[in-house]
Amino acid sequence: MGRYLIGRFIKWVPSAVIVLFLVYALAFYGAGDPIKLIFLRAPGDVVWSPEQIEALREEAGLDRPFLIQFGDYFWHLLQGNLGNSIISNRPVIDIISAAAPISIQIGLAATAIMAIIGIPLGVLAGLYQNSWLDNVTVGFALFVWAIPVYVAGPLLLVLLVLVLKIMQVPYGWDGLFSTKAIIPVVVLALAPLALVIRQTRVAVIDVISEDYIRTAYAKGIPQYVVVYRHILRPVLTPVITTLGLIMITMINGAILVETVFGIPGLGYLTVNSIIEVDYPVILAITLIGTFLVMASNLLVDLVYPILDPRAAKAEVEEVG
Amino acid sequence: MERKNKIRIIALFALVTLLLSLAACAQPATEEPEIEQPSEEQAEPAEPSEEEEEVELRIAVGARFDDLSPLRGGGHSAFWLSMWWASPMYYDSDGQLHPYVFNEWEANDDFTVWTFKIDPKAVFSDGSPITAGDVKATWDLSAVPTTKHQRVGLFFTGVEGYDAVINSEAMQMSGIAAVDDNTIEVTLTAPDPVFYKRMATNLIPPVKASQAVGPDGKEVFEWWRPENGVVVSGPFMPVSMDLDKSEAVFVKNPNFWMGEPKIDKVTLIAVEDAQTAITLFQSGELDAMNEIFTPTLVEEMGEEFVSGPMIPRGHQFWLDGSKEPTNDINVRKALIMSVDPDMVFEAAFPNGPGQSVTQLLVAVEGVDPEYVWYVPDAGAAQDALAASSYENAENLPKLYFVGISQASHELAAQYIAEVWRQTLGIEEVEMKAAFDEYSGPDQDRVQIFRDDAGARFPDPVVYLMGTIHSSSGPAQRKMGGYNNPEVDRLLEEAATKGADDPDRIALAQQAHELFLEDYMFVPYYFQNMPRYAMPWVTNWSKNSDWQVVEPWNVVIEPH
Repeated sequence: MGRYLIGRFIKWVPSAVIVLFLVYALAFYGAGDPIKLIFLRAPGDVVWSPEQIEALREEAGLDRPFLIQFGDYFWHLLQGNLGNSIISNRPVIDIISAAAPISIQIGLAATAIMAIIGIPLGVLAGLYQNSWLDNVTVGFALFVWAIPVYVAGPLLLVLLVLVLKIMQVPYGWDGLFSTKAIIPVVVLALAPLALVIRQTRVAVIDVISEDYIRTAYAKGIPQYVVVYRHILRPVLTPVITTLGLIMITMINGAILVETVFGIPGLGYLTVNSIIEVDYPVILAITLIGTFLVMASNLLVDLVYPILDPRAAKAEVEEVG
Repeated sequence: MERKNKIRIIALFALVTLLLSLAACAQPATEEPEIEQPSEEQAEPAEPSEEEEEVELRIAVGARFDDLSPLRGGGHSAFWLSMWWASPMYYDSDGQLHPYVFNEWEANDDFTVWTFKIDPKAVFSDGSPITAGDVKATWDLSAVPTTKHQRVGLFFTGVEGYDAVINSEAMQMSGIAAVDDNTIEVTLTAPDPVFYKRMATNLIPPVKASQAVGPDGKEVFEWWRPENGVVVSGPFMPVSMDLDKSEAVFVKNPNFWMGEPKIDKVTLIAVEDAQTAITLFQSGELDAMNEIFTPTLVEEMGEEFVSGPMIPRGHQFWLDGSKEPTNDINVRKALIMSVDPDMVFEAAFPNGPGQSVTQLLVAVEGVDPEYVWYVPDAGAAQDALAASSYENAENLPKLYFVGISQASHELAAQYIAEVWRQTLGIEEVEMKAAFDEYSGPDQDRVQIFRDDAGARFPDPVVYLMGTIHSSSGPAQRKMGGYNNPEVDRLLEEAATKGADDPDRIALAQQAHELFLEDYMFVPYYFQNMPRYAMPWVTNWSKNSDWQVVEPWNVVIEPH
């Protein structure tokens, strides 16, 4: 297993470097001058001169050729230094280490909700296909899927805070186990929840028509045992893959939820750093993003053998 | 049997859901926000007695902040600088000038040398006096490019040695001298009878030189954080700042010399989403905000929330005279004359606040209420387009808007585009919030820039110098290098006249009318200075420097 993990990490490094290079090039050539943007984005009577801009670019090292800038960044990265934000001058490691844990907590919590609610609902809908339970579940899934986050968030706020008056505005971040986290996590989980329900349902419908399931029922095995032992395992394999992908999206991309609920996570940081062309922050987020993709794939790979022993065999052959 | 299993599965699911709900709804171990104590050097803040309830002012900043330096000259958090920094002087909401850190000022006969006296009572929050050395160091530091002050040129252009500092050739302005501990002298390269008025701003507040200026003459990293023992000069002093969460807490400055603040605590939080901010206001969890724009703001928050005096500032759709097709005056004329300013304003702000635009100047002496710039006329607009080098709409290149960053701006721009379509037959129009949202080649084609322009104090010459003089930002960057030598000449002459000289106003009016004849902007709206505060916040007013006036007098009434 150790060799397997090291192998995965070694495979990740070159792809991370390539992604970093491409992102740096895109920001450098496509997004504009971050120093000029500090002034251009300010409204009204802002005043600046080309000399002022040039002095700031020189101070930030942005007056050097692209390859030298990237090489310098990469050299510092190898020493564990992610650099400083061009805009606020704060160390990027501080900025990221404050935002990433929040997004990871929210992403994991939303994924857990999706799994805990979505998989059982999908199984039930699949088992009782075309029944009222199936119709209600699928209808619910379609309904929540159809509501965008930027509508669900404010609507829930108005309903719970102003109409029902059962809570204060859940604004800001006091930790995952604070009441403030409930609505953001639920809102974040809503739309992908539909995906999980529908995928699970379809997989269950496929599996229950298999011969070995009919055999199991014919042998008089109770339904919950059949579901647990014979249906869930093959059903969960594709669902877990989907959950892994959704989790990455939620950790990296909960932009609207973070904006509406004032959560200082990675989503907001991503958008803001791109708008401000803050290279060091953009690159650090990219690095985390690629790492999360690798980690998520790794997690899924580790879960596969538990669900399907044939995958374990293939893994052993690959490592061997 | 099957029915029994079905019930078991449903029960299991229900149990899991219940457990999850209980876990999610569990009351968190709530912790009071940790308020860091001021450093030993600082005096203890005045704490309310146990019987008294702490009076807190909860303020929303419209964007997240991770930099609260008072020397950035802009950004959303700069709207609240008067809470914790004392300005040299200040204007009230009626445009009257008041002493603050400076209590006396005078000029020599030709207005080229200005002398300011520091109020002997003016001290920092640690009790140490604000000295002329602090003032000089602050102003020099503001001009150093690496400080990233966005508006330093508004205040120090014309001061001897300013150009050398802004061009990185020097670290100090030779024209600013600390004569003694209480006297600062400023030498200008040309007469400026209203230079003292420029100093009445919170964007260059004197800070403690020993904290803010490093040995290299540059700004010390995060010197303004309470963790670094910052001492301030305003009515409130910071006790905690969580820049990752964009939260800051301030308490009374016990050494503030203008009077004891009537609020115990000020909390700044960032709220970016307008609807969330409105929900926070309506649920009573927020007291004030720096700015918030939605087309339904008046309906949701009431007229008082957006009420406030008109300020010398207008938002316009500036036309770039260096780009096609707005480099043709007849095209500009057609684009402008087809639009009814009242309807543009109505589209964006059906219930106010503000006013529709009738000319460029507003809320300054010299505005002629009878002056008619143009009468909307579809026929005249069509004639102007026909007289242009493009002759008709089919020959016009696509029109690009920028600065369409809020719902109200979008409504106004869409209304204008629709009028152009119906009146002139213009079909191709695109709108974006910022330049960099366009592709590279399209960035160079943008002809219409929505932005505000005006003055930080009510003076028509300063207003026009900062808007239409060829050296101004709007003229250079929003109107594509607008340069009418006669306009420049009139304004330059007006700028040498004393503040009370009638010629100053007359010359400004001439320049103003000449500019309007060049048809350089589609009118949008004149801005007021809205309260953006709940009714229980009293003694609350803001000046045209966008600052709360006399924050030490602000009261939170029981509600």
